[in-house]
Amino acid sequence: MKELQIVRVFAVLSVLGFGGGKGIFPQMHAQTVDSFHWVSAAQFTQFYALGKLLPGPTTIAAVPIGYAAAGAPGAAIAAAAMFVPAALLMLGASVLWRRFHDSPWRERIALGLAPVVVGLTWASVLAFGKGVGSGPASIAIVTVVTALALRTKLDTPVLVGLAALGGVAFLR
Amino acid sequence: MDVARTFGTIAIVSFGGGQKAAIRRAVVERRAWLDEDDFIEALALAELMPGANLVNLAVFIGHRVRGARGALVAMLAVCLPPFAIALGVAVAYFARIDVPLVGAALRGCAAGAVGLTIANAIELTVERRRDGLLGLALLAATAVAVGALKLALLPALAIFGGLGIWLATVRARRTESRADAA
Repeated sequence: MKELQIVRVFAVLSVLGFGGGKGIFPQMHAQTVDSFHWVSAAQFTQFYALGKLLPGPTTIAAVPIGYAAAGAPGAAIAAAAMFVPAALLMLGASVLWRRFHDSPWRERIALGLAPVVVGLTWASVLAFGKGVGSGPASIAIVTVVTALALRTKLDTPVLVGLAALGGVAFLR
Repeated sequence: MDVARTFGTIAIVSFGGGQKAAIRRAVVERRAWLDEDDFIEALALAELMPGANLVNLAVFIGHRVRGARGALVAMLAVCLPPFAIALGVAVAYFARIDVPLVGAALRGCAAGAVGLTIANAIELTVERRRDGLLGLALLAATAVAVGALKLALLPALAIFGGLGIWLATVRARRTESRADAA
């Protein structure tokens, strides 16, 4: 059952999505590209880019992946599996919040997970660098956007838009 | 409904991260659902818990304003508009209306998104220098284990997250005992 697989893949990612969901993309890539072949490596990286470009969280990339796997129902199932489990955990945390308000563990967990989430961000780069291809134009776009993001205050959609223009100019 | 309208609007105008200011304005300044301190606490909790920060914040504030129903409404309001847009884009993408320019633009976007992720990783790594050598070793070990050796996310979080939390706990205790001694 493809629908069940979609639920399993995205529900697990949902509850493991520490760091605002930044850390889940390597595993999302491994499962949706390598294990289940719902999307190609190139498509995955494009959907990740759409997640950054479209309104809402980057994890909305689950929607085109679910659509690729099982059409519109697949997209809806992927979105529900991506957002509902984490939301339920957050509801639980909201209810219990007063009780753990002053617990020292909150800060320790946050501090302890922070370097791991950054490591996972680097792992994302390793995982879907492949989806960009190795042509000189692609590498040039990656480099320029990296530099602009570090050196300027341009917003994400502006930078992705510039990269799209770069693609139109050099990746035809 | 106020909760739905507020978060629906925020969802539409929020792109990959720049939404915290918009939420703060809407829920602290305009509606007074939370005061400034509570908002900062809510943000910390939203960032601590798994899931997109925006969705988590919506759930927390929805719950605060109208209980579990409010949380559900806020979550739907913040998720459904982006879902509808993403679905529309997915349908268009797979309709395979072959416009070469669109394919080229998407390949450019993909390269741009990788560039953004590299920049983000660099900035975050610089920030984590404050964790010291052990923290940076943990960061590098996670990147290699997951990125190159394909370790799954759950064991990665259990091992490296566990180590990180243990490290933070040891450091907190040491700071406390030093404070006691002084």
